[in-house]
Amino acid sequence: MDFELTEDQAIIRKAVAELAARFDDQYWLEKDSAHEFPAEFYRAFAEAGWLGITTPEEYGGHGLGITEASIVIEEVAASGGGMNAASAVHLSIFGLHPVIVHGSEDLKRRNLPRIVTGDLHACFGVTEPEAGLDTTKITTFARRDGDHYVVNGRKVWISKAQESEKILLLTRTTKFDEVAKKTDGLTLFFTELDRDRVNIRPIKKMGRNAVSSNELFIDDLRIPVADRVGEEGEGFRYILDGLNPERMLVAAEALGLGRVALRRAVAYANEREVFGRPIGMNQGLQFPLADSLARLDAAELVLRKATWLVDRGQPCAREANTAKYLCAEAGFQAADRALQTHGGMGYAEEYHVARYFREARLLRIAPISQEMVLNYLGSHVLGLPRSY
Amino acid sequence: MRWELSPEQEMFRDSFREWLAAYAATPAIRQWLRDDDVAPFEARLAGDGWLGAGFGEELGGQGGGLLELALAAEQLGYSAAPAGSWLAAALAVPALSGEPDIAAGVLERGDVVALAVTAGRPPDEPGPLRWEHGGLQGTVPAVLGAGRAARLVVPAWADGGVTLFLVDAGQASVSRRGRKLLDRTRSAADVTFARTPGRRLDVDGAGILAAAALRAAVLVAADSLGAAGKMLELAVDYSKQRTQFGVPIGSFQAVKHAAATMLVSVEASRSIAYFAAASAGQGREGAGLHAATAKAQVTQAARQGADAALTMHGAIGYTWEHDLQLFYKRAKLNAELYGSPEVWNERLASALPLIPAG
Repeated sequence: MDFELTEDQAIIRKAVAELAARFDDQYWLEKDSAHEFPAEFYRAFAEAGWLGITTPEEYGGHGLGITEASIVIEEVAASGGGMNAASAVHLSIFGLHPVIVHGSEDLKRRNLPRIVTGDLHACFGVTEPEAGLDTTKITTFARRDGDHYVVNGRKVWISKAQESEKILLLTRTTKFDEVAKKTDGLTLFFTELDRDRVNIRPIKKMGRNAVSSNELFIDDLRIPVADRVGEEGEGFRYILDGLNPERMLVAAEALGLGRVALRRAVAYANEREVFGRPIGMNQGLQFPLADSLARLDAAELVLRKATWLVDRGQPCAREANTAKYLCAEAGFQAADRALQTHGGMGYAEEYHVARYFREARLLRIAPISQEMVLNYLGSHVLGLPRSY
Repeated sequence: MRWELSPEQEMFRDSFREWLAAYAATPAIRQWLRDDDVAPFEARLAGDGWLGAGFGEELGGQGGGLLELALAAEQLGYSAAPAGSWLAAALAVPALSGEPDIAAGVLERGDVVALAVTAGRPPDEPGPLRWEHGGLQGTVPAVLGAGRAARLVVPAWADGGVTLFLVDAGQASVSRRGRKLLDRTRSAADVTFARTPGRRLDVDGAGILAAAALRAAVLVAADSLGAAGKMLELAVDYSKQRTQFGVPIGSFQAVKHAAATMLVSVEASRSIAYFAAASAGQGREGAGLHAATAKAQVTQAARQGADAALTMHGAIGYTWEHDLQLFYKRAKLNAELYGSPEVWNERLASALPLIPAG
């Protein structure tokens, strides 16, 4: 066993941390309050080449693995940018994985280099109001019409749709009750988010307000066949490929958020004096913070194992799910305790931990709820009967 | 709402507590357990007239009801007194409303009578016995207090319903195999009936058992309340005596907070247990839920309190010499006695407008 980062990984961590540090807490506070996309951060991040970390070199990227991507996104979150920063770049870093693996050469040439330079903003359009995590029940339908498809339906919780030029869109091309297997008949596109055909409405929400979350109303959206990813009817399997790495990246975001929350809590506990001594001297505050350190460290180890497995092409679903579960719990708990450590000030925006708290809560829900992770571990790993 | 004990109830509780402190201090309890004979305690409990509290005069009692019994149970738990026969009688006597002489023998002279239901489940769950060919047939495992009982109130299936029979426990067709429990202040026995004759009690069997389930829930909860209160006292006292790093360990915030959490839990438990006792005693609407809440919440809280108290004591709490073990085991058994918190939570869940589990 070897717990050391490679030289490259260590350099990546340091470089990303330095870049992210240029955007201080005040920057993120303002972006969050104004509900404004962090364009300056995104540009700087793209210019430094980080958006293309997993994109193959022939399309302008670095062709590195999920381990490197997870380190990048963890540092982004841990800088204090939290989920606002992570979500601004998350999809570009890894979201086009189905296009990279299954897309046509034409589709890749047209899109991947623009993703890497940051010129092309994109979003991920899977979830629907009536389907939730039961993905095969989506009803957004793509009807073939000559060399186009015509799409109608609704999507919900589409991050960054406001800011995106294109969307990775999952549709049905055969209805649920007409397929042999429920995972058949789904088709994936990477296409223009035509504002004349798609009404995008932001959802008012609890946090991560610099990056929008949206409802999409799709009305006769015409998609050229050339924008289809891979074969018709195979979309579900293409999406599935990316789910485990996706969970690892989200775990890394939760971990980074937990780290920054803990760092702030410790700083405040050392500096704030009540009853004539620093509040960090109280066991009631010190123990929870020490406990959070232990939990974050343990969660990090599972995450490192998961990314190590996926980069070696080994089965990693158990570790990916466990990492998401533990990092989300540890990250939220650290944020909660950071808020508690700050007392009344924790509730004030200017101390930033309230923002971390709101964002960390999201990671116990998204991209899948903690309960669904337990469902996976319970039935697929332990062999218990499926409970849902 | 203002709700408090009456002066008589307070006096009863305080004098019983003092009596237990005088006659059932832990050195005496340890001696009885070493001798494997709790008769001296039971004889004195009866002789000094404590058994009649909580029962009507028509049964030979001194008045009061389930609330008085709960106050007594709390004190018994607080002192770790060997109260298995007391609890057995508290569950069995209501079945003897048509047998005033026998009831009076229990309440006035301390004759031991036990309800022949298994101690691991709520008393109103269907039992294993049948009445056939004029005799009782079958085995009831782990009956609380059965080892010392002179008589048993035995529920059995007869004529398509539950009927209660009064059985002389000493007869040859009744065999009893004692079971040692981890908590040695109570004991149980497996009781086997082989064509055992018995007298049919002219009472509503199912109704008596349903009421016994609520009484069991309330009284075991009250016992746990007492044990939890005692463990809190022991832990706080110890935290003031024991010094580490030059200061009493009670000055450490983590220890203080553990004690404060226990106090919150004990106070919440008291409110739950007393209310449930009053509600079930008066047959109020919702009494079943109140009793189930008490059994599920209070015994669970006491089990957690026991662990916290052990942590506060450190290794000394783990020793045989220290009294904590008596209360720790008491609280652990109480959680399982007459149905675990999970079982009683199921009763609560089934009373809520939830979708049944698939």
